[in-house]
Amino acid sequence: MIEVNDLTIHLPGFSLKSANLKVEDHDFFALIGPTGSGKSLLLEAIMGLLPVDRGTIRLNGRDITATPPEERGLGIVYQDYALFPHLDVKANILFGVRYHAIPEKESQERFRFLVDTMNLGHLLTRHPVTLSGGEKQRVALSRALILNPGVLLLDEPLSALDPMLQDDLKNLLKSLHQELGTTFVMVSHDFSDVLFLANRGAIIHKGEIKQAGTIQELFEQPGSPFAAQFVGMKNVFSITPCNGSAVTLNGLDIQLDHPVTGHDHLALRPEEIVCDPNGSASGANRFAGTIKKLVNRGFYYDVFIRVQEVEFMAQWTRREIVKNRLEPGTETRIAIPRNSLHTF
Amino acid sequence: MSLPLIFLIIFPLGKMLLMPEFSDLMSALKERVVLEALGRSLFTALAATAVAMVFGTPLAYIMARKNFFGKKVIEGLIDLPIMIPHPVIGIAILSLFGRNSILGRMLDRVGVEIMGSLTGIVIVLVFVGAPFYVNTVKAGFESVPIRLEKASRTLGAGMTSTFFRVTFPIVWRNIVLGAVMCTARAISEFGAVIIVAYHPMTAPVLIYERFTAYGLKYSQCVAFWLIAISLLLFVMMRLFSRPRRIQ
Repeated sequence: MIEVNDLTIHLPGFSLKSANLKVEDHDFFALIGPTGSGKSLLLEAIMGLLPVDRGTIRLNGRDITATPPEERGLGIVYQDYALFPHLDVKANILFGVRYHAIPEKESQERFRFLVDTMNLGHLLTRHPVTLSGGEKQRVALSRALILNPGVLLLDEPLSALDPMLQDDLKNLLKSLHQELGTTFVMVSHDFSDVLFLANRGAIIHKGEIKQAGTIQELFEQPGSPFAAQFVGMKNVFSITPCNGSAVTLNGLDIQLDHPVTGHDHLALRPEEIVCDPNGSASGANRFAGTIKKLVNRGFYYDVFIRVQEVEFMAQWTRREIVKNRLEPGTETRIAIPRNSLHTF
Repeated sequence: MSLPLIFLIIFPLGKMLLMPEFSDLMSALKERVVLEALGRSLFTALAATAVAMVFGTPLAYIMARKNFFGKKVIEGLIDLPIMIPHPVIGIAILSLFGRNSILGRMLDRVGVEIMGSLTGIVIVLVFVGAPFYVNTVKAGFESVPIRLEKASRTLGAGMTSTFFRVTFPIVWRNIVLGAVMCTARAISEFGAVIIVAYHPMTAPVLIYERFTAYGLKYSQCVAFWLIAISLLLFVMMRLFSRPRRIQ
């Protein structure tokens, strides 16, 4: 278990402000945030590669804030893999074994298991410069995992791979996590990766942790406009509560399925807005509006609809656009299910 | 475009190497003075390189890895011996270690003589050669990504193990190259050496002496052997440090 308390790091031009974090054993924990939010910094601090200005880091109750990285018992896989160019794949994987009290037999078993799982058998005598990105990634993972680290830290493991390899690696990471039971902490800027892999996470923005919890909570109940945007709720509005479960959104009356108290923001996923030209949807807020803009995203369209003073963004399939003959200027009707509206 | 430059290097050297007659060359080799001077040149240059390696390697590492107040000044100081006229270096060493200086007298009392001794020659050669070593090795250290060192630490290696298992294996070719440059600079030094120690005589001093006393022909024979030894030394070092082909 990792506990980070009040961790503060000042660097020229950036600082991490009083971060608090708790990663339970066997978690697949995701540190999520846009580029430059400080998530990699936090990872390096946990690993012990950055001097900390204030706060503590504990591993299984032991204070490791001042422990040098080689004694922390953690592993890290860098975004650029950081393989040793002068050593072949086998020597890279075995690099750290001699510093850990691993019995010869066990280290050989682990080596064989990792080489098999990662499909590295045919690459053992090759040097890192000759490997592809995906191969390097698997060598870096093996190099860290052979030491059986208490926690494995992954710095943006997917960002340097092409989409096909990303899917492979996601499956590999998921099965490694399940088979080895190692605690994983992953840094990512892509919420869809996180949804697939992680069970808990924290959203970090401008050096501050905005929200932490299970991935389900982060996905369904973001607590700030930034978090809402980040988890895909592209429609975020300021609201004035009226009475009970009704709110006013810039003059538009909207019914919710829950009463609002003290909330002043409303958020909504674009894919929850239903295209309803005949006005047949029930149990929903129904509005007439005008299509302002259509953006072709390949498999779907981003549709911007103006209802009185409010602009909603919806994501509809190509089929719906064609079937309802939608184009900029078209009048149409939309339905917003009450249970899709989230307030905070 | 570069042809004139290549000619400029090849012609005088080629002329120098081809002009002496074979019998003269062989008889020069039989002279004790010549052999001693050549050996002395080689020995002092290698000794100076060894000193530069021992003291220059940590300096190069710090200069490549650390940022501190006054770093630019130290970088400037390291480069300074490259720019100063060589006799000035000799005079500077003379004024510091000369028989009338405090340091010179102190060393004299413990039996260490600088002026007119091999020790003095080596000190001068370190002075002129070390900048080449430090700068080359510093560039080598700079080319090793810090991330590799960090990765090694995260795998359990301490700072010392990291240096010997990660940094050094990547940078050792730069160390050899730096040593070659330092030796090359040291073996060719004349201006500073002649001020600190005319005797014992190194090869360049002997060449100069033979030129002034006996003329071109006599000096050329010694020069031939100095060039031949240097060439052999450097070719060997280059071969030894050839980049390993990666499959």
